[in-house]
Amino acid sequence: MAIRVNPTFINELDRYGAEDVQLCYQCGDCSTVCPHADEVYRFPRKSMKLLQMGLEQKLETTLEPWLCYYCGQCSEQCPREADPGETMMSIRRWLISRYDFTGIARLFYKSRTAEVLAIIIVALITGTFLLLNGFSGGSIKVYDGEGAFLPSNFIHRFDLSVGAIMLVFLAINAFRMWKMVMVRGTSFHIPWWLYVREFYQIIWHFFTQKRYSECEKKRGHALYMPWLIHLGLMLGYVTMLVLVMVFIENLQAGPEIQWKVHIFGYLATIGLISGTVYFIRGRFKKHYIQYKKSHGTDWVFVILLFLIVTTGITQHIFHRTGLIELANVTYVLHLMSAVPWLLRMPFSKWAHLIYRPLAMYFAAIRKEALTRQASVQNLYPLVVK
Amino acid sequence: MKECRIGVYICMCGTNIAKIIDVEAVAKFASELPNVVLAKTYKYMCSNPGQEMISHDIKANGLNRIVVAACSPNMHERTFRRALRSAGLNQYLLEMANIREQCSWVHSDPAEATEKAKALVYAAILRVELHEELESISADMCPNTMVIGGGIAGMTAALELADAGYTVYLVERNDHLGGNLARVDLTAPYLYSARDLLTERITRINANKNIHLFLQSKVTTLTGYVGNFRAVIKSAGTDSGKKDNLEKEVEIGNVVVCTGYKEFDASRIVHYGYGKLPNVITSFEFEKMLRAGKIETREGKTPRYVAIIHCVGSRSQEFHTYCSRVCCMTALKYAHEIKSALPECYVSDVYIDMHAFGKGHEDFYRSSSAAKTLFLMYEKGDRPVIHKAGPKDDCEMLIEVNEKLSGEVIEIPADIVILMVGMEAREDSYEVARIVNISQDKDGWFIESHPKLEPVATTTDGVFIAGTCVAPKDIPDTVAQARAAAARILARIAKEKIEIDALYSEVNPNLCSGCRLCNQLCPYNAIEFIEEKKQSHVISALCKGCGVCVAACPSSAIKGRHFTDQQILAQVDGLLAI
Repeated sequence: MAIRVNPTFINELDRYGAEDVQLCYQCGDCSTVCPHADEVYRFPRKSMKLLQMGLEQKLETTLEPWLCYYCGQCSEQCPREADPGETMMSIRRWLISRYDFTGIARLFYKSRTAEVLAIIIVALITGTFLLLNGFSGGSIKVYDGEGAFLPSNFIHRFDLSVGAIMLVFLAINAFRMWKMVMVRGTSFHIPWWLYVREFYQIIWHFFTQKRYSECEKKRGHALYMPWLIHLGLMLGYVTMLVLVMVFIENLQAGPEIQWKVHIFGYLATIGLISGTVYFIRGRFKKHYIQYKKSHGTDWVFVILLFLIVTTGITQHIFHRTGLIELANVTYVLHLMSAVPWLLRMPFSKWAHLIYRPLAMYFAAIRKEALTRQASVQNLYPLVVK
Repeated sequence: MKECRIGVYICMCGTNIAKIIDVEAVAKFASELPNVVLAKTYKYMCSNPGQEMISHDIKANGLNRIVVAACSPNMHERTFRRALRSAGLNQYLLEMANIREQCSWVHSDPAEATEKAKALVYAAILRVELHEELESISADMCPNTMVIGGGIAGMTAALELADAGYTVYLVERNDHLGGNLARVDLTAPYLYSARDLLTERITRINANKNIHLFLQSKVTTLTGYVGNFRAVIKSAGTDSGKKDNLEKEVEIGNVVVCTGYKEFDASRIVHYGYGKLPNVITSFEFEKMLRAGKIETREGKTPRYVAIIHCVGSRSQEFHTYCSRVCCMTALKYAHEIKSALPECYVSDVYIDMHAFGKGHEDFYRSSSAAKTLFLMYEKGDRPVIHKAGPKDDCEMLIEVNEKLSGEVIEIPADIVILMVGMEAREDSYEVARIVNISQDKDGWFIESHPKLEPVATTTDGVFIAGTCVAPKDIPDTVAQARAAAARILARIAKEKIEIDALYSEVNPNLCSGCRLCNQLCPYNAIEFIEEKKQSHVISALCKGCGVCVAACPSSAIKGRHFTDQQILAQVDGLLAI
């Protein structure tokens, strides 16, 4: 059955940042230079063609966009300046909005005003809630223990509820992703045990981002930068998330430094601060091709993260040096930036933390299933339809 | 007959000849043959010292026949003929033995190759003894030219010649000038108006007293030979009611054929539905819309989707295997014109390959991509299929394509489908070819004398071809060819006389029985039949010396100059003697 082309789709994707995809004339240089494209996953070339033709249903079931780490070698190579790297990035943005059932992601990607407004509103609600709570039961002069302005057991409960909300959205979206890709988008049979066998892929890719290092290895960058800095940022973030969700009460105790937890906190902070500074600087200087174009959501991402990190550090210093009032004020500011961040996670770029390892997992299963089927039917070359 | 004094010269061609053939042995062998005065070897016989050596020997030793054993005569026969002339010897008293291409380059055994070289040299020596002194002839060059076809090529050639001050007879079949270009709106890639290109030319032609314009006319006969043709131009009456067929005979020296092309008949490809689906139209029908300034469907609606299908009739085994060269750029031009007239309209371009080979073409292609034209590729043997859309669809038609680049089977919405029809030879091209005596290839295009070095000349001397009657081409190439043909003719007119090679055949009137066998066989129409004498006669200016008539004549009445039976038999004797 023939699929109808949709010539308007290219205009829709324009809003997500794919401004130059129409220039592509399918020479395939991008796929040749890409360290990850192979005979089954033929990106960026094929993804660009699907986008040009507006085959939405096809495009939303593909995993190719997630297999790309945007090293930008394709964009450097492109003879028509069609910017395949940025196109893949734009398709990822669009996919995030497709996986999201609420439509919030779509709104945020299409309107920077809506995104910033939503962040401000959530920040203000958070701030008001914390202030009301703080003044009702405690004193601004007390940081921890009896009569504390923001007692650690209250913050613990608060964090867990915010985390739970976030997790629910994220889980639903991830489930939708699975259904789109592995159920609707896969015409061949996938044996259940492949899901078990390939499960290590999630953990492996989550913690190493090895494929990203392969991009930069091919490029010959020292220490495979920016892969290392990106890995540091991600590991710092995850460590911090665990500390905040599980060990907040130890973290908040003081004023003496709690080395058992704080050592992890410091390490995580190094990763976070160097990552955010590196990426903000990169987006300003545009010295790598992947920073040449910055979507509004990219800026919100790095700036908000930078705010969270700096307010967190300040609050920590104030507390440890005995400036309790200032510590409490910066704590409120810290949470005012952290809560919108966490709630925004399932609808934003940050969701790639989950989607990307999942995609690697699905891609491995799909490829394996296809190879098995092809060897049975003696099909060659392999084609994913 | 004067005593034969033969000089034999064996060339080493650097090492090309000498590394296989023992040239000294060949020279020694030759020097011992009767009538041979001297036999010499030299490193490069074609070099200036080599040529000077030959001229010097002719004068010093009274040589009157020369044999050069070297490369192919195609390569250096002219060089050595010049050496003979410079020594005051008739240039036809030379014979070359090809011991390079036909010996040293193709053999690996030195002993056998040397023996073969001796045989070739011996054959040349025996032949050259029978050579005669021949003189080339010259004929007057009539400065008038006839140009057949009044399109952009014909008009350009006519103006070029007329502006130089010579009379031109411009013959056009239609009642107006302009040809196929008159049916076009803008031209790719610079979007010049075709009308502007033509009106300038037409105005100049009408004002030029040197150009005699024959509209609604055709050439019925062309007789004579280069520099001295006579043509009959037949014109249909232009006044209404009067049915007079005027015939005019003109004297001309050269002919330029610029009869152009016709478009492929799109209804031959059944599943495009041309002629059945009202909104499937050809590129020329779309040009008509553009010139009228109104892009709309048959029902008068403004189209939301326009699809363009490339290579209709071109690049396929069933129709024409060649590329029509202009359709890709024309299609991009349509995309451009549609987008500027109807910015809300979506244009899809269904192609096999995009051929954007010329100046400015790649940039034009890029700008079409930038304007979001959707480019879709189909496989050569797997043509798109056009269906009528259902009542629920927001378009008139749906085109099903097996899109090659994505591997997806897709359908494209379309309100208008434009078929980019290719170029093909006109139906009357056979008639034209017969009248002016030129040949056609399997597709009906006129054949040039050499595709690379003689692109506008034909095998009939004095008849030139230019533009799309030779092969599909765009306007700049067509104009360049027309000017090239005119330049060739002007150069000949400037010389006033035309030199004709002495290698032609002659009919011995005492032997000719008038059987007329040779008249039909001659590939150059060079043999005429003289009714009064009931005998054939070779027009030496047209004869190329191919020898077909010599071989065919049952009474052996025809002699090929420089290729007489005796000369050839002597050569055979020489070859077999070793």
